[in-house]
Amino acid sequence: MSHEELTLQINGTTRTGLFPRGIRLLDALRRLGYTGTKEGCGEGECGACTVLLAGRPVNSCVVFAKQASGKPIVTVEGIGTAHPDGLHPFQKAMVDSAGVQCGFCTPGIVVTGSHHLDSGGSTSEAELKAALSGNLCRCTGYSKVLQAMRDAAARKQVRAGGKR
Amino acid sequence: MSTTWIVATEAPRVDAQDKVRGAARYVDDLEFPGMLHCKVVTSAFAHAEVLAIDTSEAAVSPGVFAVMTAKDVQGENQIGVTLPDQPLLVETRARMMADRLALVAADTPENAALAAAKVRVRYRELAVVTDPDQALEPGATALHEQGNLIARKQVVKGELEKGWAAAKHIVEATYAVGYQEHAYLENNGVVAVPEGDGGVTVYASAQCPFYIQKAVARVLGKDLAAVRVIQATTGGAFGGKEDYPSEPAACAAILAVKTGRPVKLVYSRTEDMLWSSKRHPMVVRHKLGVDEGGHLTACEVKLTCDAGAYIGLSSVVAERATATALGPYRVEHVRVDTRIAYTNNLFGGAYRGFGAPQVTFAMEAQLDEAAARLGLSPAEIRRRNLLTVGDSTATSQVLPESVGALATLEQALTRSGFEAKRAQWAQFNAKSPHLKKGIGLACCMYGCCLHAGGQWLEGSGALVHVRLDGSVNVAIGGTEIGQGAFTAMAQLCAEELGCALSAIRLSPVNTELVPDSGPTVASRTTIMSGNAVLDAARQLRARLVEVAAVKLGVSPKKVRGQDGEFFAEEGSLKRASFKEVAKAAYERKANLTAEGWYAPPRKEWNDALGVGEAYAVYCFATQVAEVSVDLRSGRVTVEHVTAAHDVGRAINPATLTGQIEGGVVQGMGYAVMEDLKVEGGRCQNPNFTDYLIPSAVDAPLIDSILIEEPYSRGPYGAKGVGEPALIPTAAAIANAVSFATGHRFTRLPLTPERLLNELEDNAR
Repeated sequence: MSHEELTLQINGTTRTGLFPRGIRLLDALRRLGYTGTKEGCGEGECGACTVLLAGRPVNSCVVFAKQASGKPIVTVEGIGTAHPDGLHPFQKAMVDSAGVQCGFCTPGIVVTGSHHLDSGGSTSEAELKAALSGNLCRCTGYSKVLQAMRDAAARKQVRAGGKR
Repeated sequence: MSTTWIVATEAPRVDAQDKVRGAARYVDDLEFPGMLHCKVVTSAFAHAEVLAIDTSEAAVSPGVFAVMTAKDVQGENQIGVTLPDQPLLVETRARMMADRLALVAADTPENAALAAAKVRVRYRELAVVTDPDQALEPGATALHEQGNLIARKQVVKGELEKGWAAAKHIVEATYAVGYQEHAYLENNGVVAVPEGDGGVTVYASAQCPFYIQKAVARVLGKDLAAVRVIQATTGGAFGGKEDYPSEPAACAAILAVKTGRPVKLVYSRTEDMLWSSKRHPMVVRHKLGVDEGGHLTACEVKLTCDAGAYIGLSSVVAERATATALGPYRVEHVRVDTRIAYTNNLFGGAYRGFGAPQVTFAMEAQLDEAAARLGLSPAEIRRRNLLTVGDSTATSQVLPESVGALATLEQALTRSGFEAKRAQWAQFNAKSPHLKKGIGLACCMYGCCLHAGGQWLEGSGALVHVRLDGSVNVAIGGTEIGQGAFTAMAQLCAEELGCALSAIRLSPVNTELVPDSGPTVASRTTIMSGNAVLDAARQLRARLVEVAAVKLGVSPKKVRGQDGEFFAEEGSLKRASFKEVAKAAYERKANLTAEGWYAPPRKEWNDALGVGEAYAVYCFATQVAEVSVDLRSGRVTVEHVTAAHDVGRAINPATLTGQIEGGVVQGMGYAVMEDLKVEGGRCQNPNFTDYLIPSAVDAPLIDSILIEEPYSRGPYGAKGVGEPALIPTAAAIANAVSFATGHRFTRLPLTPERLLNELEDNAR
């Protein structure tokens, strides 16, 4: 099996590695130790492998690592770095509102949910559900995850002095 | 109820921080030096004679360290958990698509897959047996020597003839339900590591480390003491990781011992869906008698359960379906007759509810039909027949306490506005040609902990260490599979010891730390592991309180502990921190480790008649589902579910309602979306593109109601909730759809295709 050298920018750090040619971004990330990114289905249906690529959420199981080369990648490990305690307000809300059960879908939900809130996405019930619709969870029934989205949005609004 | 300071609070989950950071370590995140990767070769046919397996090409493929077939298994080539009918590796006859023929271990996952594709197998295809009723007819191809009837289970109470004679109406119908896939987000996975002393350590995504220990010891021909099993963080299970993980664990273990290297086996989604066990398809032939006053007089249930090619846990699932087929209702004359059949279909096994959702769907539909004949509301017929304290169940078990069935019914009715909505929506539907609204009701009863038939497995242990700095390690034999067991255990331990919740760390479940505690199933962990933790914590508390009493200058009886401090009972301001007391106790050479154990009293049970104490205690629930049905598309939208559950006592209301919400949405998937298509023993849609589970957009709003009828042997009165959360949901939704459409549906799932087809056939 032939190999290729790839350079990836992950959570603000440049990482280089030798990988089997055609490796998926998901596998490259995991082989570099970013194991928070999970494989649930391998075909872009469940969202457990969601990462931010050039600022947008993608299913890293259906992206070649080579396609991500040269673009900033943020994994679940990097979502909270800029925040107090290393937790994004949505991560904190997921803890506080019991939005976590088995936790396997959680990294993907954290990436999708924090991105939705950070990019000023609407917090109407329908929009929140639509934002999460690419992230399957088999444990929670989504109620408490949606609650965490609302709580994090409310906290953000309080901090911003009520301005959107 | 006693006053508590941390039990019955919404304490944050002990594992949440790691999980939101992506730091929790699941099996596939574990790496070991020199680790190999396993790939499994399975049968190309659902039923075939295996003529030859040629591994010569695979053995010399790049990176390959070992290829194993049946003849290479070091110990017994057998994996059956209840009966020895299932080889780990098939040698001469494949009875299902999931039958394993060969295992490959190679240096990379890519090389393992490459080599597995080079294993050549010659078969002689055999006719498949796919209909469980036909499988039991004389002359059917026998899949095993003893024929296709695995077992019969019965319940006999009263005299049916008397019951039929007393009935004004007899409602008779046949119900059929299909497979359901667990669809935990994390696929099955294990790593087996050979140890220098000839033993092996298995890390697994699993519910039941002690099952894996037995299975691995058996296939290796080793003692139980040589096999250590450690649970990795587990990404959902729902019954699908009860017995099943023993299979991949046994595969990885024999390769690890053969090669002397760690071996990882993690399934892809498609492999997992093709190979792991499923919720059983069942056919339920149901006959129910009701008198003029709306009281049930007799009930006869004939069940056929499709086990697939091996027994697995099918007889145990059938045992539960049989014992609780009538749900939470008083009936004097009962006969339940269950037959479990071998077929070449998918492997039936444990799935949240364990046989109960299927029979509940039938019973609850029958009750609505009986109510309609009498002109009663669905609520009223249930009100007149629900069990209360002192009543006798179908298995003639008299219920002495903790029966919240009626309370769940009344609360669910009130909170959902059931009767008013029925009246309004009947009017709405009369005027609305295409869009129909429906509301439906279902109750359930679920025996907590193991059936009397499995009570020999029931004891559970715990180990608690108080460290000299006041920190605490807790180990239990029950597993954390997402349900919140570790958080409940930490709360129980902190409540009893008086330490802060944050002082407690739960150890990964490890067969070397605690006694065999049986399986994490049957909604039993809060009761079983909870009582074991309380036992250990009480011993330690007594030792610590002696020291605290000296510091506080009071008698030990007066010492209380809470949130990291000891203090005297009556308003004294004097405090001693848990830390300083732990240190002082250590220096006085007190033993700060205690082992806890809980084993419930023996249950009397007559298996031939199905009479006796089937379960120690029962959970009760009522759910009300509100749906809309679009008659043009056939689409059912589940808008709202009210779920009232008698849980005994809520140790943590937040994690508990999380269980209810998750169970309801899984039940909703079972009712209207999840359709595993199997033809000739082949699964047609083993992936998340073609097998749809509910997303956030599909999930209904859920109103959870907790009813607390304490159980005297439960920790602080607690029972369980994991399974009852799902059991009545599909039944309530089906009743709502029948109300909306005016047509009784007798099959699940109610996909748009099925709905339209049945309504069209009905209109002809």
